[in-house]
Amino acid sequence: MVPPPTPPRYKPPATETNPALEDPTPDYMNLLGMVFSMCGLMLKLKWCAWIAVYCSFISFANSRSSEDTKQMMSSFMLSISAVVMSYLQNPQPMSPPW
Amino acid sequence: MKNLYLFIVVLFIPWSFTVAKYDEFEDGDDIMEYDDNDFAEFEDVSEDAVTESPQRIITTEDDEEEATVELEGQDENQEDFDDADTQEGDAESEPYDDEEFEGYEEKPDASHSKSKDPITIVNVPAHLQNSWESYYMEILMVTGLLAYIMNYIIGKNKNNRLAHAWFNTHRELLESNFALVGDDGTNKEATSTGKLNQENEHIYNLWCSGRVCCEGMLIQLKFLKRQDLLNVLARMMRPASDQVQIKVTMNDEDMDTYVFAVGTRKALVRLQKEMQDLSEFCSDKPKSGAKYGLPDSLAILSEMGEVTEGMMDAKMIHFLTHYADKIESVQFSDQFSGPKLMQEEGQLTKLPETKKTLLFTFNVPGSGNTSPKDMESLLPLMSMVIYSIDKAKKFRLNREGKQKADKNRARVEENFLKLTHVQRQEAAQSRREEKKRAEKERIMNEEDPEKQRRLEEAALRREQKKLEKKQMKMKQIKVKAM
Repeated sequence: MVPPPTPPRYKPPATETNPALEDPTPDYMNLLGMVFSMCGLMLKLKWCAWIAVYCSFISFANSRSSEDTKQMMSSFMLSISAVVMSYLQNPQPMSPPW
Repeated sequence: MKNLYLFIVVLFIPWSFTVAKYDEFEDGDDIMEYDDNDFAEFEDVSEDAVTESPQRIITTEDDEEEATVELEGQDENQEDFDDADTQEGDAESEPYDDEEFEGYEEKPDASHSKSKDPITIVNVPAHLQNSWESYYMEILMVTGLLAYIMNYIIGKNKNNRLAHAWFNTHRELLESNFALVGDDGTNKEATSTGKLNQENEHIYNLWCSGRVCCEGMLIQLKFLKRQDLLNVLARMMRPASDQVQIKVTMNDEDMDTYVFAVGTRKALVRLQKEMQDLSEFCSDKPKSGAKYGLPDSLAILSEMGEVTEGMMDAKMIHFLTHYADKIESVQFSDQFSGPKLMQEEGQLTKLPETKKTLLFTFNVPGSGNTSPKDMESLLPLMSMVIYSIDKAKKFRLNREGKQKADKNRARVEENFLKLTHVQRQEAAQSRREEKKRAEKERIMNEEDPEKQRRLEEAALRREQKKLEKKQMKMKQIKVKAM
């Protein structure tokens, strides 16, 4: 008796082979977060550091489950360190731009 | 007589003294010395008399002279004093130098200038104040972050609940039609996991396989990004719906060659631009489906009329009419290769791989405000999918239709080849050159000189033959042309 053939297995959807179909939001936000963190650290701008924290949060919320958690964590830590360093150097409260 | 003379002398001496002192007081310099030297012996008696009289003289006659403020019973004379004099009188009781009062006339001016040039009090820096109110921007930022985190947790949980509600509703139907429901591709054996694969916080996949005539079915639950606050705010401006995308891959022998699509007009226009197969085989604009009794919201894109006639049977029309609000697009294609790939011309040497596919995109009702109960309304659509699979297997084109379809496919291939002719030529040329180079290298690497000579001769002979063949061809072409 011939055993029934095994059904075809799951293959990840084409988004992995065709990068154009992937949602670029988490990658953009990751990059933006790093840029703002560096600006906040180098130029001692508090608002840059805060925006970097927001960018890393948005990147985390939109990330895929297959994405490397180490990269997420490093981006997050960098933005937090930017905020902390800005306040250690200048404890004055942030002034609004208006 | 003697007593009289004595008495006159005694009277005369003090009188002479007073006259002398008056002279001295006109200068106004040596008051202290005068006091010390001249009145020392008259300390008790004459002190009051002496002190009183010169002060009287001073107060009545010399306003500019210094005077003590501690005068008693001299109120009538104080009118003659300026304020400066009284202040100076205060100072007189203490051992001050006159030099201290050099700029004294300027003092009234100084008091005036005070009002013109006020003392500026610098504010205490905010971070040294004991108040949290100055950090209001930071508090706002932290509040924003907390709101984002709260929204993330709530959105993630809602998407999770919706996904599981959908799966629980459809599980029975899927398990009755497919042997394998749920597979993540990691297990060695093909066993049903019975679970959704979570790709994202808003995308869930389910692979079903083990059914006659189809290779497999991939269901993607594409929910809205409820976990991202920015997306939630953007959706307030522009409402969107959750979507369920189903991709059925058919076996080669179980589907004939045709391309057909039905859906909302907007979706079909977009798909016609984006999808490779629809743009090549369905060049006409989407037509209205009113002819077949479809609602106005739906349109049809088809390769040929026969396909439309064959597809639009009673049951299909019933499904499309009743669930028109939930249907975004339905696409049947034997030439499906996904969206048009934006490649450089140099890279495109081969036609992309095609697969016989049925694609369904459904909108979840609720327009964003979906509840788990809404998932039950999608169950009839899954029945439509199962019916479509069987329909696609049964439907066969007649001879004319088949010929037309084959012609279309040949035309598309020819167009593609023409476009890529130059690239293919270049590729062939480079391959030939590569072969020659490899052969030359082999000859060079050959150690035995005898063998080397023989290989070189063989290569020469081959090249000569090729040249002769080319020349023959050219001659034949010339003869034909003549």
